[in-house]
Amino acid sequence: MSSSAHPVSRRAVLGAAALAPVAAFLAACSSPGSGSSGTASAKLTSQLNIYTWPDYFSKDDLAAYAKKYGVTPKISTYTDNNTLYTKLNSAAGAGYDIVVPSSSWIKQISDKGLLEELDHDRLNLKNLDQSLLNRNYDPGNKYSIPKDWGLLGVVYDPDATGGEIKTWQDFFDAGAKPNVSGRIRMTSAAEETVGPALWIQGKDWNTKKISDIEGTADFLTGFAKHVKTFSAFDANAMASGAIVMAQANQAYARNAILLNPKLKWVVPGPTSELWVDSFSIAKGAPDIDRAYQFLEYQLTPTVQLNETVYLGYPASLKGLKSKMPSNVKQADLIFGGPNVDLGKLTSFVVNPDTYPTFQDIQNKVQAAAGA
Amino acid sequence: MPVFCWGAAKGGRVRRNTGDHVLAAIPLAWLAVLFLVPLGFTLVYSFGTSGFGSVTLGFSLDNYAQALGPLYLETFLRTLAFAVGSSAACLVFAYPIAYAIARRSGRFKIVAFALILVPYLASLLIRVMSWQILLAQGGPLERMLRSIGLLHSPLTILDSIPAVVIGTIAVYLPIAVIALAVVLDRIPPEVIEAGHDLGASPSATFFTVILPLSRPGIATAALLTAVPMLGELVIPVLLGGNKGLFLAQAISAQYVQSQNYALGSAMVVLLVIAIAVIVALLVRLTRGFDATGGEPGRPERAKRVEG
Amino acid sequence: MTAPALLRESGHPPVGSRGPRLVTGVALWVWFGVAVVFLFSPIVTAIAYSFNAGVAGKQTSAFTGFSWDWYSQAVSDPTIRQATETSLVVAFWAAVIAVLIGTILGFELARNPNRTVRRLLAALTYILLIVPDTVLGVSLLLFYTETRIPLSEFTLIAALTPPAISVVAFVIRARVLTLDPQIEDAASDLGASRLATLRLVVLPQLGPAIAAAAIIAYTFAFDNVVIANFLSTPTVNVLTVYLYGTLQYGATPAVYATATLIFAATIVVLALAALLLRTTVRFRARRGD
Repeated sequence: MSSSAHPVSRRAVLGAAALAPVAAFLAACSSPGSGSSGTASAKLTSQLNIYTWPDYFSKDDLAAYAKKYGVTPKISTYTDNNTLYTKLNSAAGAGYDIVVPSSSWIKQISDKGLLEELDHDRLNLKNLDQSLLNRNYDPGNKYSIPKDWGLLGVVYDPDATGGEIKTWQDFFDAGAKPNVSGRIRMTSAAEETVGPALWIQGKDWNTKKISDIEGTADFLTGFAKHVKTFSAFDANAMASGAIVMAQANQAYARNAILLNPKLKWVVPGPTSELWVDSFSIAKGAPDIDRAYQFLEYQLTPTVQLNETVYLGYPASLKGLKSKMPSNVKQADLIFGGPNVDLGKLTSFVVNPDTYPTFQDIQNKVQAAAGA
Repeated sequence: MPVFCWGAAKGGRVRRNTGDHVLAAIPLAWLAVLFLVPLGFTLVYSFGTSGFGSVTLGFSLDNYAQALGPLYLETFLRTLAFAVGSSAACLVFAYPIAYAIARRSGRFKIVAFALILVPYLASLLIRVMSWQILLAQGGPLERMLRSIGLLHSPLTILDSIPAVVIGTIAVYLPIAVIALAVVLDRIPPEVIEAGHDLGASPSATFFTVILPLSRPGIATAALLTAVPMLGELVIPVLLGGNKGLFLAQAISAQYVQSQNYALGSAMVVLLVIAIAVIVALLVRLTRGFDATGGEPGRPERAKRVEG
Repeated sequence: MTAPALLRESGHPPVGSRGPRLVTGVALWVWFGVAVVFLFSPIVTAIAYSFNAGVAGKQTSAFTGFSWDWYSQAVSDPTIRQATETSLVVAFWAAVIAVLIGTILGFELARNPNRTVRRLLAALTYILLIVPDTVLGVSLLLFYTETRIPLSEFTLIAALTPPAISVVAFVIRARVLTLDPQIEDAASDLGASRLATLRLVVLPQLGPAIAAAAIIAYTFAFDNVVIANFLSTPTVNVLTVYLYGTLQYGATPAVYATATLIFAATIVVLALAALLLRTTVRFRARRGD
């Protein structure tokens, strides 16, 4: 099929088509670059962009802030820290003022230069619970201030488990029992799956020894067949008895217990997780002054109290427990129950050398559960 | 090649060929920028070494070795089985529906079509979330089945593969129906009448005339359901309890959770190759599985109308 | 054999096969009914549960009481409103682009005279479908980062088009394969350019296929979670990302209320569009166009 007689050859047309995207590139590259404003603006803009977990601020407080300062914050959401990290580490991270990373990721995100160092002169940290400050995940609170905190625990039906659960070993043992097997919820966060398996051996989940971490794989994949779901915690499932034992934080547990009062909550020994979701300011935030203004507003005692009641997680104010209004049901559950000793708890710090191994094991466990 | 009408035919063909190439270039250009170039990144990254959230370029086959390891191979096969099975079920479900709409609804064709399409207009997430409520233990479906005596124990279907299949079929059914209906719609009634005139029973007519003529629709429907099902991420998490690793979850875990762009990229390249091979085999096996037998896509061999 | 291809199927059964035809007819429509119930059950559930009072502000699987609160919340919450607006705009434009480009692609897939080009296009269209959303999302993100192209509503719209284009292309291709190529040949013999042939001869015959493909493209774009997640920015937030988030951390009936409102609005718009189309066609027919 000769094409030489044609006035416009096929090759020429396809060649022109290939040039079009190149032209588009050049046009895009010469337009103003992605919004990375290196210097903080001296004047307050009329926008505040917050990147946070879903439904993580009380609507009333946000409305009150908007009324007082005339700015309604624009809220975007993520469902895990990994997404936060991916976005901040890319072109999509430009333009956020405030982000809310979990304690485990603060070191990784700040090491990559994605967070502003906080100016403590502009923030009043005196009223905060001092045991929440200066912890291993952010010494000196260089990059973050605590927003709220939570614990990794277990909520369970004592009738089904045939007794109380006091340690992680009890948790794993109960899982194999006939009434419990197939009705367990475990978390999809890799460190919260592998962590307990390390703790029952007396090991530290912040270990740098990959062999220790890999050593939990067989045990966990063996346990996987008892697990029904790794999805979001569903209080309704616990109320109906579809799930009788679940890894959960205290707020989830409280929701379940409000629906089904015979459920019990425990923070198993020998140790468990304390996570602290924290306020940070993204590097190159378009309006740093507005960010500090919002943070100051969040740190005022009334707001701290309101947020605690709204979220079901304790904010970071000192002595919150005694200030809880009486109409809040199961209020001590918000704080993890009566006997919580923050000193006995450990916070995870994501280490790029070991974290992929954690995730590998999580993949294997989830695969084994569905087999 | 008929020699008469040479001048007009050649002139028409010239215009047609150029025009076709210009037309073909438009989608090519758009997709080159938006799809091929980013995918090129993926290809390049697949040979690199991963840094947490970044890739050092190089030439290494380590990622491919890992991607071909037992865990991911098993994941791929499991996902393939799921996609083929659910797609087949979807097609079987969809064919009679498409047939009813395309050939038996007379004046009510639009209404019938609308009845199938309207649910599709509601947000996918809400539909899947509603299936979560419907299939939950103690939920509406369990109560209904119990009240009519079909069920005597708790409904444990949620957070398992059957629930994922049900949800997947519910989501993909309208696409399959559309793909089938647009083809069934165009089978000329004369062909069917001819079959009857020659003495064929209705079922024989169906199997020897209608079914073969609907092959483009079946092929399209199979493709548009099975392939996206391979990449399905949301439904296995919401209805399957996030268990039994599906391929899209495995790949996503590499990119987002493990921040291992290199390994994720290798897995993607392998996936594309695997699907390409399978589809090519299918096309070879069924001799262009969408041809209706008249090779209508070859204008230069089209019959000339006399006069 | 050419003229009947343009007529609508009238469904007249040949004499002598009415009996078995009735049985299959009934069976077909029963099957159809089951499908409609199956497809509508989540919709009905969602609408019903949007009125559920819930417990402690969260959705429950058992109905606890009737409440309109969620609708007022859905309408007044600025995050939901913003996300909904953005989603609708993004999905609309993504659908428009996908239908335009996808139709051309589908046509060329079926009719391009050069077999190599057809195969090349087919390979491209298949790959569009195969590549998982995560890969598309992350690699586009990396691409924009490396080339320093700023993210915007447009980059999101553009990113949502590839899978939609693929679906549109395949649907159109299947339909075009059933068309009579002799008519197109006749048109080009009479001097029409390829584009004119496409516009005046092929497109009218593709009508329903394009409408259906447009709906699919729109829903693909509107429902997309993963690509939207990666390419959203501080100011470009879509509803699906928000919905998925609330799902993980406790859905409230407000999201069901939002979805119900959007669903109702979409149906109204489409019904109006269909009516408008019908009256325009009738008007034109009467005028003798």
